[in-house]
Amino acid sequence: MFGQLIVSGLAVGACYALLALAMVIIYKTSEVLNFAQGEMAMISTFIAFTLLDTYHVPFPYAFAITFLFAILLAVFFEMVFLRQAKDPTVLGLIIITLGFEMMLMGFVGWKWGPDQRSLPFPVSNIETYNFSGMIISKINFWTIIVSLILMFILFLFFRYTKMGIAMRATQQNQLAARVMGIRTKRIFSFTWALSSMVGTVAGMLIAALGVLDPPMMMDPLLKGFASGVLGGMTSLPGAALGGALLGIIENLFGGYVSLSFKSVVAFAIIVLMLCIKPSGLLAKHYVKKV
Amino acid sequence: MVKKNLFGVGLLAFIFFISAPASAAVRGVTDTEILIGQWGPQTGPAAPWGAVARGTDLLVKMINDEGGIHGRKIKYYLRDDSYMPAKTKAIAKEFVEQIGVFAVVGGVGVATGMTARDYLMENKVPWCGPVTGVYEWITPIQKYLFAIYPLYDDEAFNLTGYLYEKLGYKKIAMFYQNDDYGKQGVMGVERYLLKHKIKLVEKVSAEVTDRDLSTHALKLKNSGAEAVIMWTMPTHAALILAETAKIGFKPQWATSNTLSDSALMMGITKGLWAGMINSFFGELPDSNHPLMVKYREAHKKYAPQERWGVFYYAGIIFAEPFFEGLRRAGRNLTPETWISAMETLKNWQGIGPPITYGPPKTPMDRQGGKHVFYGKVRPDGTIERLTDWIQITK
Repeated sequence: MFGQLIVSGLAVGACYALLALAMVIIYKTSEVLNFAQGEMAMISTFIAFTLLDTYHVPFPYAFAITFLFAILLAVFFEMVFLRQAKDPTVLGLIIITLGFEMMLMGFVGWKWGPDQRSLPFPVSNIETYNFSGMIISKINFWTIIVSLILMFILFLFFRYTKMGIAMRATQQNQLAARVMGIRTKRIFSFTWALSSMVGTVAGMLIAALGVLDPPMMMDPLLKGFASGVLGGMTSLPGAALGGALLGIIENLFGGYVSLSFKSVVAFAIIVLMLCIKPSGLLAKHYVKKV
Repeated sequence: MVKKNLFGVGLLAFIFFISAPASAAVRGVTDTEILIGQWGPQTGPAAPWGAVARGTDLLVKMINDEGGIHGRKIKYYLRDDSYMPAKTKAIAKEFVEQIGVFAVVGGVGVATGMTARDYLMENKVPWCGPVTGVYEWITPIQKYLFAIYPLYDDEAFNLTGYLYEKLGYKKIAMFYQNDDYGKQGVMGVERYLLKHKIKLVEKVSAEVTDRDLSTHALKLKNSGAEAVIMWTMPTHAALILAETAKIGFKPQWATSNTLSDSALMMGITKGLWAGMINSFFGELPDSNHPLMVKYREAHKKYAPQERWGVFYYAGIIFAEPFFEGLRRAGRNLTPETWISAMETLKNWQGIGPPITYGPPKTPMDRQGGKHVFYGKVRPDGTIERLTDWIQITK
């Protein structure tokens, strides 16, 4: 049972990690916590569902169109809502994301209705692989693989591409970045688009693992946030580690201590981390010089 | 002196003018209309159950098109409470203080309904058919509250008996939602097993917001259960079936009528719902019952955008006895005449269970539905009816 709990924990942790990554990408550049992250992923997943289920678009094309939608949605939100805010404080921007979250939730409820649906997905959520006695479902296995690949791509992007370096520069000092010729407004739009794409992958995987309905991201988003706090809200490897750890800790707690209290473990971890190491496991503690 | 007399007469006339209509008026009843209200989750995690409130709307439209009841049309107010008790309380207040409804019909949820129950009763608002089968609606017994939904406790008790005695499953586990709804299911299962001096092999609960049920599935598998009874919402039912299938655990599943919308469940479980033993408190979706034929026709006419599923037409089941009460009460409609009329219902049946009420001497006099029947889901999602109506509440 121990091994099985670890494997299941890793699979669900991979989804938390992707959501944490999506949140961290935005937080790193703008210090804004995007509470609309879950619903942005959810609406993109509904778009994928419509393409796959109603229009029978082949999966790769549907996936590409969904990605395009996710990008446009994020850029629209950044340009129309966030950029127009007058002298915005970080708190003000966070409140705008909360408002956008409610708008999206309402829109999806109105457009697609409240019924649960099943997202057609190329990988079965029932068939399994058996690695010397350790059973892992195909969907869980591929969730872990996709997450690892995505994390690696993000690592390469931030480390070696011009755009990635520009994003890091904008996060460290927006004014200096602008002086150096970096178009920071464009960087912000790109950041939101990138985050939305990562969130969409998480959304599609979460829907494929379970069911697709408007509230499907509420719980995973909270867990993603907890993963970010655990690993460090400014560290991409930290977010990935935080997600994996949270998934495993939750499962072990549920398996050996109490299932009833399994869902509160994430919140206990948030409180604990904020008391012991507020910056998270892998992020450096940031001290503002005055 | 004349002035004084005139003032006195004027004052009397004013008092008469003010008080006379007030004593004669019945809240929510006019010469041409009867105002009724219902809350239901149109958004949020319980939104699929919100179809109930929209189903009631279908029946209202049918009745109004047929001329109403005793010359009065029904005016129906539907409010979304998102399954949040605080909202439900506010809606109940709006119904009574702003709209002034004659009665509340239906209303999904235990916690939600409980925030409104005492308020409605204090204001003497008739409430017919809360959409849950818990004891809270009949204990303490309420003059103005008429329950329809068969009790979860008795439903679970009898379902366990069906698995244990009829189908021969001796090792039974339970998977339930950790709230009043799930716990009253557990109560019935354990009551039955205690009577037969056996124990549940495992009891696993899930919180409403949980989305990862892999640990829950492992616990159920490790229990070695032959049959698992689930008392959850649709999302959890789909998740637990997928998780148990992944780890190769395939017990006989059985569940309450709250999950009897097999078309929905087959869809979201990708066919894993096949083989499920379900209890039902209403006719099956494709039933040839004359009323079902009539309602299906009306559905095509008035609400073709709605899916004809169990949750949707359950809204009719919970409203039918209420309207029958209105018919029996006659033109002189007051809460009291309606209550007296409701108490004359004896084994009255629409498309739901036989309904019987009586003057409120014991809680069961206000528990209308006391029957369910069992069915098994076929691989194509249709239902094989296993039994006739069975009385589960004595």
